[in-house]
Amino acid sequence: MLPKRIYQFVVIYLAALGGLLAIKLVFALSDYVIPSPADLWQTARSVFNRYLGDVLDTLAVAIVGHVLAIVLATVVAIIGRLTNWVGALIKVAAYNLQAYPIVAVAPIIFILLGDGLASRLLIAAMICYFPLLLSFIGIFAEPVADIEHFYTITGRMRWQLEVKIRAFENNAKLITVTAGSATLAMVGTIVAEFFGANAGIGYSLRIALYQSDMAKVLVALFLIGIFTSLYLALLERIGLWLQHKLLLPKGGAL
Amino acid sequence: MCARTHGMHLFAALLFSALLVAGCGSAPPQGASEPINYRLKWLFNVSVVGDLYAEAEGLFAAEGLQVTVKAGGPEKDAIKELELGHAQFGVASADQVIRALAKGSPVVVIAQLFQQNPLQWIYRPDRSRFQTPDDFRGKTVGVTFGGNDETVMKALMAEGGLGEDDLTLFSVRYDYTPFYEGRVDLWPVYRNAQGVIIGDKLRRAGEAAAFFDPAAAGVRFVANSVVTTRAILEEHPQTVQKFITALLEGWRRALDPANAERVLAMIQEHDRDTAPPLLREQLEITRRLVRPDAEARIGRIDAAAWKQTEEIMLAQNLIPAAVNVTASLVSP
Repeated sequence: MLPKRIYQFVVIYLAALGGLLAIKLVFALSDYVIPSPADLWQTARSVFNRYLGDVLDTLAVAIVGHVLAIVLATVVAIIGRLTNWVGALIKVAAYNLQAYPIVAVAPIIFILLGDGLASRLLIAAMICYFPLLLSFIGIFAEPVADIEHFYTITGRMRWQLEVKIRAFENNAKLITVTAGSATLAMVGTIVAEFFGANAGIGYSLRIALYQSDMAKVLVALFLIGIFTSLYLALLERIGLWLQHKLLLPKGGAL
Repeated sequence: MCARTHGMHLFAALLFSALLVAGCGSAPPQGASEPINYRLKWLFNVSVVGDLYAEAEGLFAAEGLQVTVKAGGPEKDAIKELELGHAQFGVASADQVIRALAKGSPVVVIAQLFQQNPLQWIYRPDRSRFQTPDDFRGKTVGVTFGGNDETVMKALMAEGGLGEDDLTLFSVRYDYTPFYEGRVDLWPVYRNAQGVIIGDKLRRAGEAAAFFDPAAAGVRFVANSVVTTRAILEEHPQTVQKFITALLEGWRRALDPANAERVLAMIQEHDRDTAPPLLREQLEITRRLVRPDAEARIGRIDAAAWKQTEEIMLAQNLIPAAVNVTASLVSP
């Protein structure tokens, strides 16, 4: 799974790059608009190590923000499923809050929290939290009637068991949603760095754009794509591992 | 990821390329009636007053040109638009022009709008006085890393013999709080735009504001200029001549004190967030930056300042080799 994701990304990246180079060739554009392969190679050699460090920095913040968002969304979704009105309230609040574009909210966060780690983390968590919450509420509030009925009528139903049943029955959805939101966490972190932080690949991208250096932008995009693909692949593996090791008891049934 | 999704990604990449191709290579103006796009460097405000005036007063039309003045912004790059054929004329900063030349862009400068760079540093004169770069020693100085204010500040530091350890460079963003709180001693502003607004806020808070002008320390880094491509210049010299005539006439009239009320009303339509008294002050300062003395010709290209700008960028390794920028300065 892991090499496949990387392979897919590299193919897409090279196809897009090839398209750009074809445009450059056809319209005789200078390296200022679209860098030549030599310019790209030269830039990659000069900034690769620095950008690699920046991407890893960004990825680390994105992962922590993502984990925070998952934990928070899980807790809130479990609470939200208890009664209809609490769940409905949380859903409405989540829909409304996620409607605010992060670019509008980010400056306020940076003014209040400064341009350090806290702001990056909060924005990364925020941008993936609400989609996660809405999906988790939907999953945890939906009874699995066939299975739950047995435990309910035998009086053995506990909230922990209810959550476990619903999580197990929807594990594919949970994995997909969680992996999907990882991309959002990465995007959120990069946006945060672009707007206000002083570290990470988003910050480096901002400087490259200030300098109109498309070669640097393309190198940064390559690294972002590679590491986002790696993170997604890792999450899918963790999801499969959880499915097999944690949700399935030793007997093979609940 | 399934093969279908993979295919969709490839399709999206191809579609993007096709759209880009479709937008590329618009021909330069073939005749007087061809539409012309003029891409500015920044949003509509007092810094583009002459450009707006030329359009609003029909000066381009009087020359037989159909010109659309388009607002710039942080994501807009006039030189790239020129090459892609999306614009025929544009406004670019000197560092953009030199970077583009270093990458083989066929850009040429046909007028220099600001004779004095509006980029200056605001400070509180009651706390510290900044007359020379040596006064920066031990102070906290705001710069936008990657921006041309960083380049100018580093040139000033070199001029004053200051190293990175002699002062603290503070990363500047849109939030002025660190300056208002006094955590940063010098903050970069455009003298005729934010400089007026921040100065006004300080005045309201009972504080004085002063400005450090890099030119006073011998660093003459060129600001915004009007650019086009060499192909347009060579193949359509009359169009270029007409365009620049109308544009500079627009600037001359916009900065004429006799037209001030009319100009302020026009700017107010585009810049509703700035109070009229501040707009008036901005216009007055813009006048001094574009035309430092009554004898100065609007649009004059200061070749010596361009040469110094190139030397600064070369010294800071912002370009790999000299580009001989003076060869790309053309007064039509």
